[in-house]
Amino acid sequence: MDAPLLTVRDFGKRYGGSDAVCGLSLDIARGELFGLIGPDGAGKSSFMKAVAGVLRFDAGRVQVFGTDIASDTGAESVKSRLGLMPQGLGQNLYGSLSVEENIDFFARLRMVPRDQAERRKHDLLAVTRLAPFAQRPMRQLSGGMKQKLGLACTLIHAPDLIILDEPTTGVDPVSRRDFWGILGDLMESEGLTALVSTAYLDEASRFTRLCLLHQGRALATGTPDEILARAPGAVVQCRVVPQLEAQQRLAPHFPHCEAMGQTLRLFVEGLDREAAGAAVRESLNGLDIETLDTMAPELEDVFLALLGGERAATLPPGQANTPSADEPDAILAQGLTRTFGEFVAVADVSFKVRPGEIFGLLGANGAGKTTAIKMLTGILPPSGGSGSVAGADMRHAGALIKSRIGYMSQAFSLYLDLTVRENIRLYAGLYGLGRQDGDERMRWIIGMAGLAGHEDELAASLPMGLRQRLALGCALVHRPRVLFLDEPTSGVDPLGRRVFWDILFSLSRVDGVAMLVTTHFMSEAEHCDRLALMFAGRIVADASPQELKRQVVAEAGELYQVTTADARGLGKALAASGFPGASPCGRDLRLLSRDGAALAAAVSAHEAGARVETRPIGMEDVFVHLVSRLEAEHGGAA
Amino acid sequence: MMSGEWVRIWRRFAAMLVKEFKQLGRDRVLLAFILYAFTLDVFLAASGVSLSLSSAVTWVQDFDHSAASRELVGRFQAPYFKVARDFDADRDGQAALDSGTAMILLSLPQGFGRDLAQGRGAELAMQVDTTNSVLGFLAVSHGEQIAARFGIESELARRGASARDEAALPGVDNAMRVWFNPNQNDSWFMGISEMLNIATVFSVLLPAAALVREKERGTVEQLMVSPLSPFGILFPKVVAMTCVIVAGIAVTLFLVLIPLFSIPVKGSLLLFFAASMLYVFTTAGLGLFAATVSQNLAQAGMLSILILSPMLFLSGAWTPAEAMPDWLRWLMYASPLHYYLDIAFGILLKGQGAADLALPLTEMGGIGVLVLALGLSLFRRQFA
Repeated sequence: MDAPLLTVRDFGKRYGGSDAVCGLSLDIARGELFGLIGPDGAGKSSFMKAVAGVLRFDAGRVQVFGTDIASDTGAESVKSRLGLMPQGLGQNLYGSLSVEENIDFFARLRMVPRDQAERRKHDLLAVTRLAPFAQRPMRQLSGGMKQKLGLACTLIHAPDLIILDEPTTGVDPVSRRDFWGILGDLMESEGLTALVSTAYLDEASRFTRLCLLHQGRALATGTPDEILARAPGAVVQCRVVPQLEAQQRLAPHFPHCEAMGQTLRLFVEGLDREAAGAAVRESLNGLDIETLDTMAPELEDVFLALLGGERAATLPPGQANTPSADEPDAILAQGLTRTFGEFVAVADVSFKVRPGEIFGLLGANGAGKTTAIKMLTGILPPSGGSGSVAGADMRHAGALIKSRIGYMSQAFSLYLDLTVRENIRLYAGLYGLGRQDGDERMRWIIGMAGLAGHEDELAASLPMGLRQRLALGCALVHRPRVLFLDEPTSGVDPLGRRVFWDILFSLSRVDGVAMLVTTHFMSEAEHCDRLALMFAGRIVADASPQELKRQVVAEAGELYQVTTADARGLGKALAASGFPGASPCGRDLRLLSRDGAALAAAVSAHEAGARVETRPIGMEDVFVHLVSRLEAEHGGAA
Repeated sequence: MMSGEWVRIWRRFAAMLVKEFKQLGRDRVLLAFILYAFTLDVFLAASGVSLSLSSAVTWVQDFDHSAASRELVGRFQAPYFKVARDFDADRDGQAALDSGTAMILLSLPQGFGRDLAQGRGAELAMQVDTTNSVLGFLAVSHGEQIAARFGIESELARRGASARDEAALPGVDNAMRVWFNPNQNDSWFMGISEMLNIATVFSVLLPAAALVREKERGTVEQLMVSPLSPFGILFPKVVAMTCVIVAGIAVTLFLVLIPLFSIPVKGSLLLFFAASMLYVFTTAGLGLFAATVSQNLAQAGMLSILILSPMLFLSGAWTPAEAMPDWLRWLMYASPLHYYLDIAFGILLKGQGAADLALPLTEMGGIGVLVLALGLSLFRRQFA
């Protein structure tokens, strides 16, 4: 084996008095797709910038291509062989320049000889399928296209190592999968090595090796399988009636237990699938178990287990509050339509959300989610159709709607220069609460969000998870019956995310609050009772996550994982023999197929040693399948 | 029902107002800037900036070397002139003017004293660098006066007339009375107009910054889905900023202008502060306009400068309206600062009352309300 391309020993970086990264050691070999996974603030960006030689570090040793980059001259000498794509959609690109001009600019910046630059530009535009948009200004591209252009610009000088900082954040699942496919193709054809960070744990299986980063320290480093082996156990997913009681019974015995829509999902450490299933059945003795499946754990389960996942906040005890059938719908949309001039942003959208239901609204960027939400929150009057939110008519009672709903946006949108208490007091005032009522809600919020002891800290100094719960608290200050959440847990670490969803679950089941969640995070989608998928302004699917999965399996077959030594070659061979759409996943391939036997035959015809097995289908597979099919039907792919 | 709604409106307003004050209070840099502008900056303007001719470097070429020539040169005196050097070479003098070493070059030709003594009339060449047109103009008129005076006196002396005879000559006696600023003290004018300029700058900048910051951080989105109306978002902001700026004006007036420059407050302070409040409040509309149009703080700042500089130049602080070309004068009449200047000088120095100022007050209020309404409607349209 070659000497590692990148060697890091005891890397440390401090900002002010606090460690951003501490004691990080890793090696990356030539040709690897190495993943750095962790939530916002875990230290990913600091580490990547230091490796790229654009940020000084405080401790340890970093060798890139065998050159020590502690000194400025060392760092400069390797820069020509490196490519860095910073975080943020199109952050390193120029919005007013066209796709082609952006690439040309980077080529001149990197002093690539003209003829060579033209050739590479041509190739890169072809691989990224951006060639038809070469003259379009960058700022008019979709998020996924911006990232592909960013990748092309990073690669124009044919570097050996590319460093991509959260390239898929804020990109919808279809474009995300496309991006990974293109990256895989390029790495193969150019012999690239890549260091890529992501906040999405469900992307972890795409890497050949990865490092789980938490608060500046490495929790685990290795191949996905090695990391999975660190916390042996099994996942049990069951549907039990009543759900709330089942959860309250299971939680004391199984620390990793969370509600996913109508089902409960548990990670049982140390037991195999059979024993885990039995243990859960025993705890649920006497309750009506409708379904109970066991499966292999995912990386997120292992991550949480490695964190020693004690529950940060305990669920407030409460009685299940099943809304009676005659209670009116929390949200009712009937044929909602909104046009902007000629453009139809939302067309004939109908759905309803019952009190206590968690409803997910999914869709790629530009599918009309934002416009729909604006109408539902009373900001934008609909051009056609009707609807009511929390009992107020959308067509003319916008102000009434606003006073009855809670809204939490994806970016932390409270005041960072105000303290926890001041933020809560501000929102209490905005919703017209009196002093006494406001103080009471303040106590409730601080207890619910686990903010005790932080009351007089500035919101800016809180960690992401706490900020998010403070934002939730402020959205709930006036006891709304309907809550709108826009990517509520983006940037929050898995532990914080779990606590957050526990709170949401309790709000929905105990307090009967109806919730509408929009998200790109498929793990968030799994928590919803019901999901609606928007495409080109219309709702094209509306069912529970399980039902959606069943529909996709019925339509396109089971999800198969093919373990192979040559993922790329096999992928092409399979596409040629009638099994298109295989997506690379680390060293494996994943694809949907209705005929497992034929697939196995096609695989073994190409490679005798390859193994084919079924996997439980994930929400991402569902989303990608549905949207790809619709895009194909509409003839427009972006 | 009605009273309950009013209670809620009041609570919303109070919550937003408290928030604005707290945020401003935590922005140390901005606070320091505000404090500097309302104290030190006004102090510097009042004590340093002067529009009078002072110590203009004057080079003298005396080719005559007579008693008369020395006498005339001797009349170019401090504080207006600073006679630097006697020399003969023509070229040096020209070079000094070109390089800016000297501002004035006086040349007295040979035979200057003789010609005067023979009653033939004499010539004096005065070359002035009028790069700064105001100072150049002053130098020329001072020089003319000195030369004319000297000419009369030397002719009278030649005819043997005494000073008393001169007084007996019939003539027009110009009895001047300097009102409102008897010492023609520049620092009064400069101090007050700088104070008003600073108030104008902040009344555009502060609301613009406060609003665009909410846009940048995405907090405005959260406010839009709360029961606040666009007016409910902007009104407390403008009120808070108005309070801060009016407090700043009070600081300038009571800590700088009155104690250090003895500005007499002839009229009603109450009227002055009421007018200031009206002015600052309505001018905020321009800031709201800047913040609505721009995406971030940098853009809003640049746009504010773009709005402010014509406002300041066309206010009448530097040039009276009557001295401007017609089309610019109309632009000037559209600027609320023009009226505010009239009002402020009127109250502070002339002691005018509300009745005297009714017209400019109405005009300022009218334009201001229009500006504010424009800012509000733009913001409302952006977020509707």
